[in-house]
Amino acid sequence: MYDLFFRKFNERVALTSEEEMLIKQLLTPKKLRKKQYLLQEGDTGKSICFVEKGALRAYVLDEKGNEYITAFAFEGYTIGDLYSFMNAAPATLNIDALEDCELVLLSKSAHEELLQKLPKYETYIRLLLTDAYIMLQRRMTNMISLPIEERYIAFSEMYPTIFQRVPQHMIASFMGLSPETLSRVRTRISNKK
Amino acid sequence: MSAKQTIAIIGATGNMGAAIARSLSKGKNRLLLFSHNQDKSQQLAHDIKNSHTSADVESIECKVNASWEADIIILAVPYGAEKEIAAQIRDVANQKIVISIANPLNETYKKMVTPTDTSAAEELQKLLPNSKVVKAFNTIFAADFANPVIDGKQVDSFIAGNDAEAVDTVTELVKTAGFNAIVAGELPASRTLEHMMLLLIQLTMKHNYNWLAGWKILHN
Repeated sequence: MYDLFFRKFNERVALTSEEEMLIKQLLTPKKLRKKQYLLQEGDTGKSICFVEKGALRAYVLDEKGNEYITAFAFEGYTIGDLYSFMNAAPATLNIDALEDCELVLLSKSAHEELLQKLPKYETYIRLLLTDAYIMLQRRMTNMISLPIEERYIAFSEMYPTIFQRVPQHMIASFMGLSPETLSRVRTRISNKK
Repeated sequence: MSAKQTIAIIGATGNMGAAIARSLSKGKNRLLLFSHNQDKSQQLAHDIKNSHTSADVESIECKVNASWEADIIILAVPYGAEKEIAAQIRDVANQKIVISIANPLNETYKKMVTPTDTSAAEELQKLLPNSKVVKAFNTIFAADFANPVIDGKQVDSFIAGNDAEAVDTVTELVKTAGFNAIVAGELPASRTLEHMMLLLIQLTMKHNYNWLAGWKILHN
């Protein structure tokens, strides 16, 4: 239920078995079926979500109801509306399952308790947030500065298995392209190979 | 918009379980019904969907999976069955709200089987140390769910628990079911709540209330 969660944790910060027990007591295991929501816009994001199995996406809606995908999460990823979680404010993101999922949730109270009791947890969270920030920085600089083909290549390096698991129109949405443009880019690149 | 909360009802086809399922299907909840008799739980899910087309309810084969999917777990089973179920769902109920509706009465409804310094809810909390056990719906008869107003008065429904956020969540469920929600206190208040039902059952049998009766606090 928590195998990958602790594997990833131990890769960054090694835990003793007592420390694992302390964390385990505060985790919420949760199954989510395909198409079900973890969070909807306007809810308060009460937890951070680690993906043990499955895939999710986060998206925002514009006034006309068009979706813009802001993130994907696969095994080993963490996803959530950080703004909502930190400020107990209404979420701006919608997060739903693209596949049946097994998740590990960390509630706000569990998060705060662990920050107080376990310095290793604070270290781990700092590393996670740094990773997330770097991802965001790369995504933003790629988005504004790279030609479309290079953006596509950078994206497929960031998410090597995504094309087997996520429909193309969602990938296009995440990259800020129309599905037709994405399809043309993919054809051009495969012709070059 | 808000994401639906998933509620697993273990023992969903008993009198209480079915009554709770019917009344909570009116709210923005997704219900997973578990019963040892799966034909009955499928029939119940079907009946509920027929009466409210917007209801999100389904029968589920496994109580562990039901509890794993759930945000809230309702144990609608007799006190005597709780120990075994708690052992089965313990891991997947970690940090979740578990609602205890049981009254630990003996077979003749004369007295409690629990010692005086504890309650069914506190015993369940010991079995599920990392869950948020909340006492609710234990002073309510199954027939009250279809008639939460008796003799012109809305029946009171009492809630007890140690985790404030969990108590708030359960209070909303009690309101969805149509009762006047009253937070009685922390989990040990369950001792009083469970004895209130002992008395109500004894009075119901003595005065023939026809199993439609409830508690009401009068106040100004």
